Amino acid sequence: MLKRRVIPVMLWKDIGLVKGVGFDSWRRTGTILPQIRVYNLRCVDELILLDIGATAEGREPDYETIRDVAPECFVPLTVGGGIRTLEQVGRLLLAGADKISINSEVYSNPGLITAIARRYGSQCVVVSVDVRRTADGYECFRHSGSLATGIGPVEWAIEAERRGAGELLLTSIERDGTMTGYDLELVKAVSDAVRIPVIAGGGAGTFEHLHDALVCGGASAVAASSMFHFTQQTPLEAKEYLAARGVPVRRFAVSGERRTNR
Amino acid sequence: MKILIIDYGLGNLASVRRAVEECGGDPLVSALPADIARSSHLILPGVGAFADGMSLLRERGWVEPLKAAVRDDRIPLLGICLGMQLLADRGDEGGESDGLGLIPGVVERLRPAGAEERIPHVGWNAVRQVRPDALFTGIPDETDFYFVHSYAVRPADASVVIGMTPHAGGFVSAVRSGSAHGVQFHPEKSVPAGFTLLRNFLAV
Amino acid sequence: MRYCTRCVMPDTKPDLKLDEQGVCNACRSYEKRREVDWEARRRELDAVLDRYRCRDGSNWDCIVPVSGGKDSTYQVIRMLQLGMNPLCVTATTCDLSEIGRKNIENIKRLGVDYVEFTTNRKIRAVMNRIGLTQVGDISWPEHASIFTIPVRAAVQYGVPLIVWGENSQNEYGGPAGAADNNVLTRRWLEEFGGLLGLRVSDLVGMEGIESKHLIPYTYPPDADLARVGVTGIFLGYYLPWDGFSNVLISQGFGFTTYHRTVEGSMVNYENLDNHQTGIHDYFKFLKFGFGRATDLACLHLRRGRLTRQDALELVKLHDGKFPWEYLGKPLADILQPLGLSVDEFVKICDRFTNKKLFQCDRNGNLVKDREGNLTKLVCDNPS
Repeated sequence: MLKRRVIPVMLWKDIGLVKGVGFDSWRRTGTILPQIRVYNLRCVDELILLDIGATAEGREPDYETIRDVAPECFVPLTVGGGIRTLEQVGRLLLAGADKISINSEVYSNPGLITAIARRYGSQCVVVSVDVRRTADGYECFRHSGSLATGIGPVEWAIEAERRGAGELLLTSIERDGTMTGYDLELVKAVSDAVRIPVIAGGGAGTFEHLHDALVCGGASAVAASSMFHFTQQTPLEAKEYLAARGVPVRRFAVSGERRTNR
Repeated sequence: MKILIIDYGLGNLASVRRAVEECGGDPLVSALPADIARSSHLILPGVGAFADGMSLLRERGWVEPLKAAVRDDRIPLLGICLGMQLLADRGDEGGESDGLGLIPGVVERLRPAGAEERIPHVGWNAVRQVRPDALFTGIPDETDFYFVHSYAVRPADASVVIGMTPHAGGFVSAVRSGSAHGVQFHPEKSVPAGFTLLRNFLAV
Repeated sequence: MRYCTRCVMPDTKPDLKLDEQGVCNACRSYEKRREVDWEARRRELDAVLDRYRCRDGSNWDCIVPVSGGKDSTYQVIRMLQLGMNPLCVTATTCDLSEIGRKNIENIKRLGVDYVEFTTNRKIRAVMNRIGLTQVGDISWPEHASIFTIPVRAAVQYGVPLIVWGENSQNEYGGPAGAADNNVLTRRWLEEFGGLLGLRVSDLVGMEGIESKHLIPYTYPPDADLARVGVTGIFLGYYLPWDGFSNVLISQGFGFTTYHRTVEGSMVNYENLDNHQTGIHDYFKFLKFGFGRATDLACLHLRRGRLTRQDALELVKLHDGKFPWEYLGKPLADILQPLGLSVDEFVKICDRFTNKKLFQCDRNGNLVKDREGNLTKLVCDNPS
């Protein structure tokens, strides 16, 4: 049986990594390479690296940086930010990305999902969906949460799946960085609507939050970063907690052989 | 001596190279079959379709040198993902094509065993060690590794099977015949156990 | 890469923010000091110390974590002046220098009880190597232990009050809430203690490290902290903090400075106790494009002792020099306990270098001079 995954998300802006709250008040937290190496050591299941400056600045993905850091990532790496064409996807995969994540572009050009899935396989297309709660439900936002799209997340998730998305990264903008728990209602609504894996994001603060998104929300994976970066909670302990509560998580050799160098 | 990572134009080799380095090996990514002579171990990576892989190996002159290197168990070889599949006799992804013939058997498309199962098989899944092998030294049975594939090897001889994975009715995820080793998963993307496996291979 | 328009700190520094005027949060918090009623703060301090002072002489009044440096020497002097009976606790550095040892002996002579805790040196060397190779910080275990060992001492000796020095988030820039803080909690340590997102418990199983090896690096359980009532305060919140006047005061009380400018620094009076510090500071330069000279220049600049132009020049002269030696010890000897050669070290440096910040040739390789020094691309804001 495929395992439920714990996936830190790294947000990257020009020369380094940042963390925010509610897609705002960014703080610089460090540089990419050391962070990837830290997560190699920490038994996470995958990593997601999103260039949050690319779309805003209207530039292409930074292939050079990906070529530099991707080979240092010893778990599957998803790369996103600024992707607008099939050709860009090819270059990112060649630079070492295992999957790519698309967001802003596909609202106006959903055919891109299909094109990538046909060419490179749906397993490497992660459609990232940023959602805000509105007066009458939920709405998807693009451009790092700054532009409303008029589309609801359930409707959009179904469309993305139909177009060939392999996975959805579903992020609650309000919960992002707050460590107060996922928006379970949102996670459940989207997970129930599609068959492809949903990665729940935005709000993880405790192991119980992870459990709830996977079990009550029906997510296949949980994205979490503040809780692993700013608090003493470790991904390994998170998985021990999940395993103890009956969630299938991956097993690894903990006895003696966790070193990754020499 | 070098750890030769065979560059035949398919897939990204940088992760494999860095992983070998981290595991204490001295990697050489090379497109020259002559480099086999200065290598202690060979790694055949690869992503893509079987027929493309074989035609590239043939075009670039790897087929005979590889067979010769592995014959009489001279040099240990590890095929990863498509690289494992290419070790078989035959495959039909992208058109019927002969393989390297180092592992007797054929490559077949996985078939979902139930409504819940998907192909391609992507993600972390367990490898059941069906018999003890040096490749799995220090790795507990049922350890999870990272998979991305739609095809798998069906060996003609059950004795080469060293690992099975419970998906699509159970498929062969690791094989060994003499010095030819193959793993369907990606050890370079499966720390920490993946690195243990690579170190075990480098110690063969 | 942009620089603060007032000091010379670049915005690559974690948790540093430039506002609309291009001024960094460290300069802003320094500015706010003028509004602080230091008399009132002093009374607050008296009240805190009074609350924790042991009435019957059965126990120490507080723990003062001491490295033997200028700041901790100053902390001890102040505590004694304020009538406290401190227990001084040292967590031995990774590679203690002769001058560092001398200054520790000096603290003992100030008239205090003193304990030194030295962690398993074999394990420490392994942790230094993991820190350097995996997260690019050789001093990672030191960041952990300088916070955990005094807290463990507080629990063990039943002394609830720990008097820390400066709040680095205030002095060097950090998020608003954290910078104005007067207490050091576990949450502060995890977020700002320099652990780079790696946790002590992550190390179990690596290179033969077991839980039992990590006892000194482990924060005591909440129940123990609650039982003793452990509280950590930043002295810098109560008394206007100035590293330089701390030097002057400490020197008057026997503190020794280095006989010349410390390698990679621009002064001779700080970071004198650990031969590995040069490597730590150099990696900061590789990752973020600034070194110890920048930190120091900013501190002096904010206090009006340097002009911005002078600061820029001093930074250019001293920041980010390849650490061939530190406090006179050659690099090869510093690396020896870690089982690393200088060649291997250079490879690790290159891997952690932020190539966006330094000159590269057409093939993307870093350009170095004969001494192995890099060239920074942007040294100030365009005028």
